[in-house]
Amino acid sequence: MIESDAPVTLDDSGDTVPTDWTPAALSDDIPAASAAPGQLGAHDLAIWRSASGRIAAWADRCPHRGMRLSHGFVRGERLSCIYHGWGYGEGGRCVRIPAHPELAPPEAIRVPVFSAAEASGVIWVAEDAPDSPPPEFPGLAAFRSLQVAAAPEAVAAALGGTGTVIEATLAGLSVVALIQPLRDGAAGLHLLAPEDSDPAALDALSAAVEALRRRVEAAEEAAA
Amino acid sequence: MILYDYILSPSCYRVRLLAALIGRRLDLRAVDVHPGQEHLSEPMLALNPAGTIPVLSDDGLVLTESTAILSYLAARHAPDWLGEDTPAMRARVAQWLAFSQRLTDSAGAARAHDMLLAPGDIDALRGQATKALRELEAALSAARRRGESFLAGNRPTIADIACFPHVALAPDGGLPLDPYPSIRLWMRAIRALDGFVEMPGIHRLHELKPEPGPMPEVIRKEQA
Repeated sequence: MIESDAPVTLDDSGDTVPTDWTPAALSDDIPAASAAPGQLGAHDLAIWRSASGRIAAWADRCPHRGMRLSHGFVRGERLSCIYHGWGYGEGGRCVRIPAHPELAPPEAIRVPVFSAAEASGVIWVAEDAPDSPPPEFPGLAAFRSLQVAAAPEAVAAALGGTGTVIEATLAGLSVVALIQPLRDGAAGLHLLAPEDSDPAALDALSAAVEALRRRVEAAEEAAA
Repeated sequence: MILYDYILSPSCYRVRLLAALIGRRLDLRAVDVHPGQEHLSEPMLALNPAGTIPVLSDDGLVLTESTAILSYLAARHAPDWLGEDTPAMRARVAQWLAFSQRLTDSAGAARAHDMLLAPGDIDALRGQATKALRELEAALSAARRRGESFLAGNRPTIADIACFPHVALAPDGGLPLDPYPSIRLWMRAIRALDGFVEMPGIHRLHELKPEPGPMPEVIRKEQA
């Protein structure tokens, strides 16, 4: 184990190695032509997938009037703001202003863009462009994302680990838990389960992780 | 079929939404709930001594509970929406109809507190609403694992319509929906249904409508 605030992952020998990526959502939770809110540190994100399947993570703020872009809608390869329909394409650049359909929007109108990549059914985000891709977890499939009203360290400890990537056994299944720090002292918990698990085993896993959340939150509340 | 209606009431919207989805026209009578307090006027109390809306009046039948109105509309005009294929499906519909009252009493009460200055212990209401939303999220994620998009199976029923409004409007009561990916996808599935109608605070899926074209000629000429 290494001591670091940076997210870590497991290498082939099961040791932890650092990654500059932060887990933000599960791929299945953001299907083609849809957008969802996310977080990276102090940043609010609009995580969205184009009609052709490309994933992107942008600042969750329309440069026009500040509306959250995660409330927006996707047509083709563009994310549009729900407020006045300004549409943004490749690199966050404004490509369409519906009230002025013949205007080519100035290049300066741009949404700040973050790095986003997918591996093993998890969407990872980063502020800069990390040197290596996000980690793969062979044999595992993304299961559920939950939020826990407790510190990431407390969630990790309840799973018997530390850091961002934790191997644990829950409801008899060998799972990987990815812990995401969220604002207000909360944690995102993205779970991966063996890909051949049957539905009943996954129901039991879901119940086990809900129970774990209740325990961690009760302990956090008692300590407050 | 007369519906005594208030545009900002999620319970009235349940009825308007189902009627639209099954293609039935309602004779709407607007009741000035806020600020007029018309639902507490003598003529309205004569119709419904509880002083609540919606009230449905049809052929001498007067119904004052929105879930009963949903059952009546579906039974009369679109029995598929009752979800009575099997004893289990019928029970799931009954379960979620009863659950929808918990949403009204928690998320709905939190919204009434924040928007209409209704009395209430807002922290307790949000706590109860969070428990209900987590329960819904867990159930919908289990449904997704079985390839189902709705609460009682692979097609929408009155149970979905009963639960949808107070969930969609929960952010008005200080309850963000960001933590609930399966709820988000379920709401998308409902908003994508043929005949879906909006209420203030719940918008349609813009991407399902054709993109606005160029300005019509007539407007261009006026501008010139």
